[in-house]
Amino acid sequence: MEINKDITIEELIEKYPFSVQYLSKKGIRCIVCGEPVWGTLEEACEEKDFTPEQIEEVLVELNELSKQNKNKTNDDKTRNIIETRNLGDQ
Amino acid sequence: MMTKQEILSKLGISEINKGVTTGSEWFDTEGSTTASYSPIDGELIAEVKNGTLDDYEMIVKKAQEAFKVWRMTPAPVRAEVVRQIGLALREYKEPLGALVTLEMGKIYQEGLGEVQEMIDICDFAVGQARTMNGMNLQSERAKHRLTEQYQPLGIVGIVTSFNFPVAVWAWNSALAITAGDVVIWKPSSKTPLTALATMNIIRDVLKKHDVPEGVFNMIVAKSSVMGDNFLKDKRINLVSLTGSTAVGKRAGQLVGKRLGKTILELGGNNAVIVTPNADMQLAVSSTVFGTVGTAGQRCTSTRRIIIHEDVYNEFVEKFVHAYESVKTKIGNPLDEKTLVGPLIDHFSVDLFKNAVEQVEEEGGKVLFGGQVLDGPGFESGNYVVPAIAEAENHYKIVQEETFAPIVYLIKYKGGVENAIEINNDVPQGLSSAIFTRDLLEAETFLSGMGSDCGIANVNAGTSGAEIGGAFGGEKDTGGGRESGSDAWKAYMRRQTSTINYSHDLPLAQGIEFKF
Repeated sequence: MEINKDITIEELIEKYPFSVQYLSKKGIRCIVCGEPVWGTLEEACEEKDFTPEQIEEVLVELNELSKQNKNKTNDDKTRNIIETRNLGDQ
Repeated sequence: MMTKQEILSKLGISEINKGVTTGSEWFDTEGSTTASYSPIDGELIAEVKNGTLDDYEMIVKKAQEAFKVWRMTPAPVRAEVVRQIGLALREYKEPLGALVTLEMGKIYQEGLGEVQEMIDICDFAVGQARTMNGMNLQSERAKHRLTEQYQPLGIVGIVTSFNFPVAVWAWNSALAITAGDVVIWKPSSKTPLTALATMNIIRDVLKKHDVPEGVFNMIVAKSSVMGDNFLKDKRINLVSLTGSTAVGKRAGQLVGKRLGKTILELGGNNAVIVTPNADMQLAVSSTVFGTVGTAGQRCTSTRRIIIHEDVYNEFVEKFVHAYESVKTKIGNPLDEKTLVGPLIDHFSVDLFKNAVEQVEEEGGKVLFGGQVLDGPGFESGNYVVPAIAEAENHYKIVQEETFAPIVYLIKYKGGVENAIEINNDVPQGLSSAIFTRDLLEAETFLSGMGSDCGIANVNAGTSGAEIGGAFGGEKDTGGGRESGSDAWKAYMRRQTSTINYSHDLPLAQGIEFKF
């Protein structure tokens, strides 16, 4: 998988900006006071008491979103965020 | 106003810049680059080469070596370097202030104010150099002297945030350097250029005064290079971190685990109390600066206004009216007529929108603003109309700090103690204020049963602190103190000495030990 549990939140935000809204809907704040939180994706999930199965589910969904976003240009960022929100709502 | 090119040129910023320095020397690195985009128009300003783990290791070793020299340089001599830095900053106040605006988005007046804070703390530290005093105490033993003194601590790691990209470095480093420490600065990856510019400005001063390489260090690096490893590094004697409560808690745990020292300056959820005895116009004018200044992106921005029911309608009417005027002055922060610039990025805009939505979902009512601006001049998508919402203190969104211009109006009944209870009923404890002409209300607010925040003001807003006072807060704000007053003590180690100038060996507490 492209996105794994050891990725830092900082790198996740930089490479996969859609993750911010997706994780926000899951109750995980990637950006606080305008800055990325420190630590890995796994640590952020564990802080919210996610089980290993739930973390795996997050990874699958994030990678699915990444695939969907791959061919889009930066200009499409806004649209991506809306799509991400929808997925996060499920 | 200078053009972007003029600003960069005056400050020695190129298209691609080195991101690691030990003071005068700059190092080419093999790391990736950090691109700095202006929140004003979303355009690239310049790029910086990030430091690597090898660079970090090199910097720490240089810092360790430099400390051996610097700790034995007399404090007033160290402070002379700080004084010269203050003079250099005066010379570059306009371009550096403009770069703060360009890279961070605060209005130009606030950009200049940020550099002035740097200058002020340099002046403050120079004066303090001769008064970093210990004390002599009365010994219980004959011909003994009991004394206490402060010694340099070692390496101070400084982690700064985008909203005060250079002032916080100055608060820390002016004191640390005067105290005999050496510093390693990790600037925000959102505002690396202002950090570079600052290091460029001080370079000539360091050379002229033969300051050893390794006293003033800076590394632009990702958290994978300077993150947990930095916090866990026993060679870093003190970590001074300005940022979110989330990052601060992590730092507190990791540094605490190795029993290192920290200064944590974290989030706030700052409230203004408006009592029936307030000067209403003063309260409105002051609070508007607190809520929309720096587009609500100060740690001390006013997040909540707690208003007595008897003056609630009057205050709200005046406050909304003031916002209508502010709304016409949202725009490019380099334009001197602008009062509210952009948020730092799209993520912050999303958080702002989420907060507006959430307060309504929880039962609140948005009275003003909340929109994202578009059209000519707002193409970056980072400009919002500051929001005013009626809410209750227990709402989840009210209990959180949203780093954007949204303020919650909360009504209180009865005496000032009820307002104070609401003021204190949040996890954070940075800044607070009361507007009243009543002495009893003001003194109650400042008493032991009053505000539980690190900053408690009377007839002055929550933001815009002077450097002369200690800055910081309680609870989830972290408990650290920076800047003025006796904050210097955190940058030094305390030592108690007993000097026996007799020929006897009396033991303390009268203990007999004969052999």
